[in-house]
Formats: sequence, C-alpha cells, structure tokens
Amino acid sequence: MKEVILSVGIDIGTSTTQLIFCRLVIENLASSYTVPRISIVEKEVVYRSGIYFTPLISQTEIDVEAVKQIITQEYRKANMTPAMLKTGAVIITGDTARKKNANLVLRTLSDMAGDFVVATAGPDLESVLAAKGAGTDLISEREEGMVANLDVGGGTSNIAVFQKGKIKGVSCLDIGGRLVRIDNRRITYIYDKIHKLARDNGIRLEVGDPADLGKLTAVCRLMADQLAQAVNLQPRGVGHREIYTNAGAPLPENFPVRAVTFSGGVADCIYSAEEKDVFRYGDIGVLLGKVIKEHKDFGRIKLCPVTETIRATVIGAGIHTTNVSGSTIAYVKEQLPIKNIPVLRIPEEEERETEAISGTIAALIPMFYSEGKLEPVAISLTGRYHTSFADVQILAQAIARGAGELIASEYPLVLIIENDIGKVLGNALNVLLNRRKDVICIDGIYAREGDYIDIGEPMANGRVVPVITKTLIFNS
Amino acid sequence: MVNEIDLRGIIEQVLKEMNLSDSSASEIIKEAQTRISAATVIEDGCLPDVTEVDIRKQYLVENPVNRDAYYELKQYAPCRLGIGKAGARYKTDPSLQFRAAHSAAQDAVFSDVDQSFIDNMGFFTVQTLCDSKDIYLTRPDLGKKLNEEGIKTVLEKCRKNPTVQIYVSDGLSSAAVAANVADVLPGIMQGLKSYGIDVGTPFFCKYGRVGAMDHISELTGATVTCVLIGERPGLITAQSMSAYIAYKATVGMPEARRTVVSNIHKEGTIPAEAGAHISEIIKTILENKASGTDLKL
Amino acid sequence: MILKTKLFGHTYEFKSLREVMAKANEEKSGDKLAGIAAESAEERVAAKVVLSHITLEELRNNPAVPYEEDEVTRIIQDDVNDTIYNEFKNMTVAQFREWILDIRTDGAMISRASRGITSEIVAAVCKLMSNLDLIYAAKKIRVTAHCNTTIGLPGTFSSRLQPNHTTDDIKGVMASAMEGFSLGCGDAVLGLNPVDDTVENVSRILKNFDEFKNKWEIPTQISVLAHVTTQMEAIDKFNAPVDLMFQSIAGSQKGNEAFGITTRMLQEGRDLMLKRGTSTGPNVMYFETGQGSELSSEAHNGWDQVTMEARCYGLAKRYQPYLVNTVVGFIGPEYLYDSKQIIRAGLEDHFMGKLTGIPMGCDACYTNHMKADQNDVENLAALLVAAGCNYVMGVPQGDDCMLMYQCTGYHEAAALRETFGLRPIREFDLWLEKMGFSENGKLTPLAGDASVFLKK
Repeated sequence: MKEVILSVGIDIGTSTTQLIFCRLVIENLASSYTVPRISIVEKEVVYRSGIYFTPLISQTEIDVEAVKQIITQEYRKANMTPAMLKTGAVIITGDTARKKNANLVLRTLSDMAGDFVVATAGPDLESVLAAKGAGTDLISEREEGMVANLDVGGGTSNIAVFQKGKIKGVSCLDIGGRLVRIDNRRITYIYDKIHKLARDNGIRLEVGDPADLGKLTAVCRLMADQLAQAVNLQPRGVGHREIYTNAGAPLPENFPVRAVTFSGGVADCIYSAEEKDVFRYGDIGVLLGKVIKEHKDFGRIKLCPVTETIRATVIGAGIHTTNVSGSTIAYVKEQLPIKNIPVLRIPEEEERETEAISGTIAALIPMFYSEGKLEPVAISLTGRYHTSFADVQILAQAIARGAGELIASEYPLVLIIENDIGKVLGNALNVLLNRRKDVICIDGIYAREGDYIDIGEPMANGRVVPVITKTLIFNS
Repeated sequence: MVNEIDLRGIIEQVLKEMNLSDSSASEIIKEAQTRISAATVIEDGCLPDVTEVDIRKQYLVENPVNRDAYYELKQYAPCRLGIGKAGARYKTDPSLQFRAAHSAAQDAVFSDVDQSFIDNMGFFTVQTLCDSKDIYLTRPDLGKKLNEEGIKTVLEKCRKNPTVQIYVSDGLSSAAVAANVADVLPGIMQGLKSYGIDVGTPFFCKYGRVGAMDHISELTGATVTCVLIGERPGLITAQSMSAYIAYKATVGMPEARRTVVSNIHKEGTIPAEAGAHISEIIKTILENKASGTDLKL
Repeated sequence: MILKTKLFGHTYEFKSLREVMAKANEEKSGDKLAGIAAESAEERVAAKVVLSHITLEELRNNPAVPYEEDEVTRIIQDDVNDTIYNEFKNMTVAQFREWILDIRTDGAMISRASRGITSEIVAAVCKLMSNLDLIYAAKKIRVTAHCNTTIGLPGTFSSRLQPNHTTDDIKGVMASAMEGFSLGCGDAVLGLNPVDDTVENVSRILKNFDEFKNKWEIPTQISVLAHVTTQMEAIDKFNAPVDLMFQSIAGSQKGNEAFGITTRMLQEGRDLMLKRGTSTGPNVMYFETGQGSELSSEAHNGWDQVTMEARCYGLAKRYQPYLVNTVVGFIGPEYLYDSKQIIRAGLEDHFMGKLTGIPMGCDACYTNHMKADQNDVENLAALLVAAGCNYVMGVPQGDDCMLMYQCTGYHEAAALRETFGLRPIREFDLWLEKMGFSENGKLTPLAGDASVFLKK
C-alpha cells in the first residue's frame, strides 16, 4: 500500500517570498500479519517557485494583495489547486512576522492554500524548518558531535543545533543581510539593534551616511562575531544577550558545536565567492556573507555543504512539517480536520499518579479560557504509565474526571499520546462516556506545553491522520 | 583448595622449621582457619538480573577503534551485536544471557498454562486429540480437532450461533497466554461492546493448533471465530501472541482465509491496544463478510 | 528383489521398496507423522537387512516419483552416466557401502561413481551408515566450486554471513555484517534472508552489499535469498548486482510447486546469471533444502524424508551450484524431534550431498519448540567439520532475530578452524590478515571490533 499526498510550503520572509510543492509518499512498513506501521517514506519537491521580494506597503506593513497575487500566479504555473493539497504550511518568518498585519496575511493565504494548510510563524519552528530544509539533520547523522545550521536571512539568523539527527536546541538573533539598507551609495535604513551594536563598539553609523565599505565591513564583522558567540565559537561579550529576537534565549554555553552549515539568502555568499558589487542588492547581505566566510572562528571548524540555501525554510515548511499519527487510533471522522488547538500537557511526573492526572487537567483548563469562554484544548501525555487494560480504564476515568468542563463543552475531547495506546484509550473513553462525546485519541505524537496541534483528515484507508505540531504559533 | 589437615601439616612444618612452639602453632592455625571461613561467608545482596540487560545498550568490545560510531549503528539492529569475544568464543555474560533467553523460550513451549490463570479468567477448558505436549508438538493433525469430551463441552457450554466466538489456546507458548490474555481479551470485548457486536462464551483450548478454530467454528456456528494463541517463542521474547480471525471458518478451508495479527506482547504491539485493534478488524470482517486475503484491510 | 527377512525367528515382510526405504531410516518424527516409519526398533533393523540386499539397479528402476509424472525424477535419471552406472548397477547396497568405505576407494573414485547413480541409491546407502560411517565416508569426498573464490578446497572451512534483520533496516543489516566479517565470517557468502520480498527491497540490499564488498575489497560473493523470479526481476529491472542466485528447492515437482518454482525457472535463473550476473562463475547458484519440506506440502508421494532430501541434491547438481546447504533443524519437531534426530539428519544430508557430487554446507540449527539447544548445534558443527563440510552459517551469537531460530554464531567458524587446524578460503584469509582481524589463521585481539569499518 502506497499513498501519495501533495503538500505546499509558502515562506514569506523579511526579504523574499517563495513557494514549493512536494510529494509525500506514505506507506505501511509493517508486514500484513502485524498491526500496521504507516510512515512517510519518501519526500520530494516537485515544484519550486521563483524567488520574489516580499511586497511591503511600508516598513511595518505587508502588501497582502500583492502577496496573494504572487501565490495565485505560482499555483497556476504549477497546475495546482488548493483542493489538491492535503497538507502544508504557510510560514511568516524573520522580521516580517513582526509586521502589524502579519496575522491577516496568514489567514488570507491559509484559506486559499488548501483545507489543511496551516499558517504559522515563530522563530523556534523557523530555525528547525530551515535546518531540516538545508539537510543539517541528515549531515549530523554522519558527523561526530554537534552540527549547527545558521539560517542567515534578511532580518534574522535562525540557529538550530543537531546531533545524530536529533534537534538539541534553537535560538534566533537579530542579525541579517537587510538590517542595513543602501540606496544610491547611501545608507537608507539601520535596524535599531545594529545601530546600537555599532555604536557600542565605537562605530558611528547613521541613515544618510555614505556607504563606506570599510565601516560596513567592520559592522558586518561585529555581526559575524555575534553569530560566532551564539554557537560558542567565541566567548559571549557584554550585550550579546540583547541581540536575540524577542528577548529569546541563547543556546546553552556547554554546546560544543563541531561543524556548521549555512542557509538563507546570505548563505550563497558564504559558499561561493563572487567578486561583484557587494551592495548590488541594496543591502549588506553579500558583504555579511563574505565576512562570515573569512571569519577566523568559523574557519576553525568544519563547514559542511548543504542541499538548499535560500530555499531551505520553504522546503522545510513544505516537506518537514507533517507527521503521521500511530496506526491504531480512535477518532470521529466528521470532526476532522481540526486546526490550531493549544496543548494542555500533563507533566510526566504527574502521570504516574492517577489522582494527579485529573487534578492537573482540571487545574490547567482555566488557562484555556479566552474572553470568558473555553477554547478547544488537546490534552497531551506520554501514556507510558498506563498500558495494561485495567490501567487504561483507570486513565480514562481520570481524564474524564479532570476534563469535565471540556466534555461539557461543544468541542471534541482531543488526546495526544506518545505511547501506542490511542485506540484502547479512545475505546475506553467512548464506553465510559456512553458514546455521547466525540473523542479523538491519537498516538505516536509528542506535543509539549505551549505547542499547537493540527489534525488532518484520515489517510491510508482511515488508519492514520496527518498531524502538524507547531512549537510556537504566530502571536496576534 | 587446601583442606584443613593439609593446612595444619604445612603450617606445622613451617613452624617447626622456624623453631616455634606448638601452642603458637595452634593459634596461628586457628587464625588462618578464621580467615578462610571469613572468606566464604554468605553475604546479603543479589546479583543483577541478566535478563534485564538491554542488548542494544550492551557493548563489550574492548578498545574499539570507533566506539561511538558503532554503538550508534548497532542501535538499528535488534540482534546480539558488539558482544566482543573470549578467544574465538563468547564472553561469559552474553553466553549466560543467551542461555537465560533460551530457557524462557523452552519453558514457554513445554510448560502448561496455569490452571489458576484459566480459572481467574473464568474459562472452562477443552482439549484437542493430543494427550500430551509431545504428541502436540509432533502431530499437528491431532492439534486441529477437539476430542470427544471437548466437542461435548463446547456444544453444552457455548452459546450457539454467536456473531463472534473468541477463545484462547496455548499453541507454542503458554507464557504468551499468561502474559497477554488478561489485556487483549477485555480490549477486544470493550471494542466489540462499543460497536454493539455480540460475543459468545470464551473458553480455553489445550494443545490447540490454529486450525482447531475451524472445528470450533463449525461446532458453535459463529459468524466470526477468533483465537488468541501463543506464537513459537524466539530469544527476544517468549511471550509473543497472535490472533487468527476467520469469517465462517470451516474444516479444510484454505489457510489464506485467516486474518492474522501477530507480535502482540509488551515490547511489540501493546496487548490492550492490540485488543482494540482486533475488535475493529472483527467489525470490518463482519461488514465485508470476508477475512484473510479475501479482505483488504 | 527379496522383501522378506527374519529377525530372532520373527518374519518381517515388506510390501514395496518404498516401505523398505522408509522403515530402514533411523527414527524421525517426520516419518512417523507420514505414517511410514518402522513400528519397532526390530522392524527398523529388518528393513535395513532387506535394503542391504537390494541392488543399485533395482533402486534406479524404482524412483520415488514416476519418471513420467515428475520433472525432478527426469532430471535425476537423465543426468546418469550409463557407462559408470553399468559398472555399479549389480552391486547391492551393502556392497556399495563397503566399496565407499574401502581404504582403496578414494575421493576421486567416489566422485566418478556419483555420476552413475541416482538419488534413491544415495539415500539407500545412507540408511545403512552409522553416524561415524557418514563422517568417515564424507571426509573422503571433496567437492569444490568457483564463484568469485573457490570453496571446498582441502584445509579450508568457510561460513555464510547471515546478517538477518527483523525489518531489513539497512543500517542494522550492515552493523551485523561488519561484526561478522570482523570475526572471519562470510567467505562462503554474504547472504541475507529478506523480510520484504519485493524487487525494490531485494535490489536495494544487493546494491548495499555490493558497495560494501567493493569498498573494502572483500573477496567473497553476495546474495539476497528471495524467490528466484524476484532476483531475476531485480537484475532485469534494476541491474541489481547478483553474485549468487538463490532458491529453496524440494525433491519432487509437486514440492517445488509449493515453493512456486519449476525446473525451467531454475534453468532460466542460471542462464540469466551467466549472462548478467556479477560473479566470475561458473558456479553461480545457491540452493537450500531440508528434510521434511516435501511432507509439509504433501508432495512426498508416500516416500521417506531422507530419500526426498537426496532427490533435492540430484536436482541441484543439474545447475552446478556453488553452495547447497540443508537447513537441518528449522522445520520443527514434527519432522525432526530432538537433537539426536537433528544431528543424524545433518550428517546424512552432508554425506548425501557430497555423494551426489555437490559442494555441501549445513545450517546446523534448531527452533525453540524442539528438544535441542546451542550445545547440540555446536556438537553437530564440530562433527560436520570432522566430516569435511564446506561451510556453516554465522549469525550474531547464534540467534537469528528475524527467522526466530538459533544456529551457529559468528564466532563458531573461527573456533572450529582453530580447533581443527583449518583456514578460510585463501583470498579471504589474506584479506582478514590485511584488515588485521587474523594472523596465521587465528583471530587477533582486533577481531570482533566491527567499528574498524567505521574508522574515520
């Protein structure tokens, strides 16, 4: 059994907007004598759009209509319609995510991109998607030690660290190629933090100044220093903390990064040297790439080639956002798809004691009220401590007791379990609730507190559902 | 080992040579004896359980050229790798682990399911034409038919023509029955109940081959028959169980008409979850009026 | 042909040669299951007495399945050299046994006789041999074959590296292969039993094996033990590199039908190998057999499992195989009940294969529902080496997690070689020395360290 689904990735970044379509092949990898084990076995990009400058109305506003037009045009070129797409992601990245109408853009696009295409943004997810799109996760399987991908874009640098294929940490810095802009040999824009970084280091740089190569090279070197500090190649200086996007957290200082990859628009200038006008794009991107390439601290460790540079994030969004659930699950078809459900996570230590489970759920539900009204919630737990039939019944009772408010609400009861007990727990809840409540109980999926989850329509003869877990959703 | 008399002899000899008196000799002997017995005191404590060793995590090769890389690679294999050697033979620990695993496998095959387990599950027992484990193992034909008494019991005690008849059989692993049935069976029952499907009287069949389900299906007149039966044990687990399910099974029908769910044990498909899965398969079989290769799942 | 004799004054009369052949067998649960075994120890001996007086001609004229009905019989009969046959046809089985054992009869003479006898003759003489007879006689006969290297030369003993995996995960398979090679396993073949028998998967594994073999310059052969038609399709469709083409075979046409094969398929497989295979040859086929498989598919025509097994070898010989091995304890206690029966069957099969004239190995193994354990297969392996067996299997610590049975482990070939003063196939031996895994035929401290293949 093989099933092919189409997925879209749309990335609206600080400087560029792109789109890809890809093919995901799902297949049952188990023999026909055992419980099915359905996985994504093949991922292939089937269409890549051109790379467009992100249309802006002003420094603070995205041109929604123009973006829409780009996307519509690319759909037409690729012979795709929203109805053909089973999954995918629209992602607003970098500096753009801070624009005041970003949320409206996401809503507009997600409607025209297909039923189950999700709209999201957030630097953590972006870091991971860019690294996966660049192939850093795979590279790290071959390399000894940790490998960091630095996705250096127009407005931000998204860092993700992998070891043996597994994500170890992410961070995001306000370092990017378009944070200083140049027109007609004059500086036309300087992002606040860069202005301060320069000033703190004794470089005076103002809008209207001539684009002095020496001075801008020095600024780029300061920016590259910040990146080197972020991946522990240089001791962290005073003020380093300030450079993180939205006051985010740096990587732990005990992460010994042994190799790096680069993606994002600036990456091409790092992997290949072109002796052309460095200000040809009206910004310092090319110069920043050149400086990073020659930076002594990055020169000390291995630089691995990547499969994608500027398209890494969009490919990550198209290919790497979708997972499939375990193959024995319980759901009510009519309730799917569901989107953007916040996760209520029962901490693992609470799970060992049944009483704590109902208590935790009951205590956390009030956090999911918005304007005095309960919002839909997905309850997430490991399911590792209740595997016998009797224990699963106890777990079901505990959940039912704790989630009374949710059960009384109009929303389905959604459970996201890691361990393979989704179907039996679903059955137990159905029997316990006399089938009066729609229960969606899926397993094989890990979701943390603060995550949002989307569950698509069943695939593979109803055995599995596609699931997208978003580490952070765009904050409106 | 030097015995006490030898020891006394040796010490006396040495003392004589050293010109020491007899009394100091006995003191020294006494002290030596205390020391010997102290060395063989039975201490409290318990040696680790060799069956709890995770084969994937065990890496016994001495001074490997690239430990991390091979350790990482061997995580992809469930077999006994990275076990080093003693000469051209095995090290003691892995040898004992292997023997322990084989002992569990043999016990699973050659022992019977505990009567108290059968009683606790509320089963009555019927037997095939096999009179012993030996006959069961060497005469597959006899394990496919109930004996006279078994036929009578089934006809007497089982509800006739149920939609689903479920029963349990030892097959090749009594350990599998003991380990899984208490979770799988209620898992199936709960699922069927929630689908509103009626189930006949479950029971236990001793010395049963898979094919006995055909005979039982004819006796009960069930629409679907499902047997939970112990699989032939491997060394990784001796507790793996299978479910064979067939729509209107009859003696002599092709093997291909059975739908199988195998690898049910705590490290494979979790038994309670397998039960829920099986109940759905039974529902699908009933809806399609077909099982085995006649049914696309 | 006299089918009657007396023992302790009691008369034993048999109805047919078939009955004599079955009852003359050492005790096997499979013959009992078939309802053809001797009913008492005395009757068994009476059958042996009767069999000892049967001539080879009578055996040739009474094949287990009629010539007209069975293509296996036709191949066995058609391949007999009549000149040689005529020299032997008047011997009784007793005389033939003593001729084989005679000091003046050497291996070359027996190999010549092989060309003039049928499988029923091979089986008959086996039934009159004790276990040590089987070792003593087999030891005289050497059958060599050449694929990429030569197997079966005096002074050598080989092993198949069998890196089976529950899901064919290629990383896991290669982890296992590396450990096997590092312990001196795999000079016979690197051969995997796939879980997933699709053309795509078989091709994928073959390509990985080929790449590894070439990267490390390992002088051996590779094979993935899928159905012959799947391997042919893998060559056709994906240019899969096949050194040895594998197939399980049975001793009757009906038995082969149960495996989904015909002799024509085997011929086409060999023809394709000679045209498109990656190995030097001329011996490019690999067959597996095992007592009892015909009975399990009701294709034994009322004959005993030793005779049916001998017929597998007669069939195999037609295709000039590089490897043939009996999988002696895999089938279950209803055919071979315990270690005694497994050991007997292993020695019988090895002897019969060699007397037939094929390069013989053995998968000395057992399942967990047999009354046997690892000591028993170690015993059998040692007896087989004493008998001059070409190769045994190697799996990690004797535990095959995919086929769920136990056989000889990666360490056994090295231990047996050292114990009996034997070496792997010469090129492979040199390779082991080059890699630092062995020195003068003994494992080095480095042996067993699979991470050598992952050196940075």
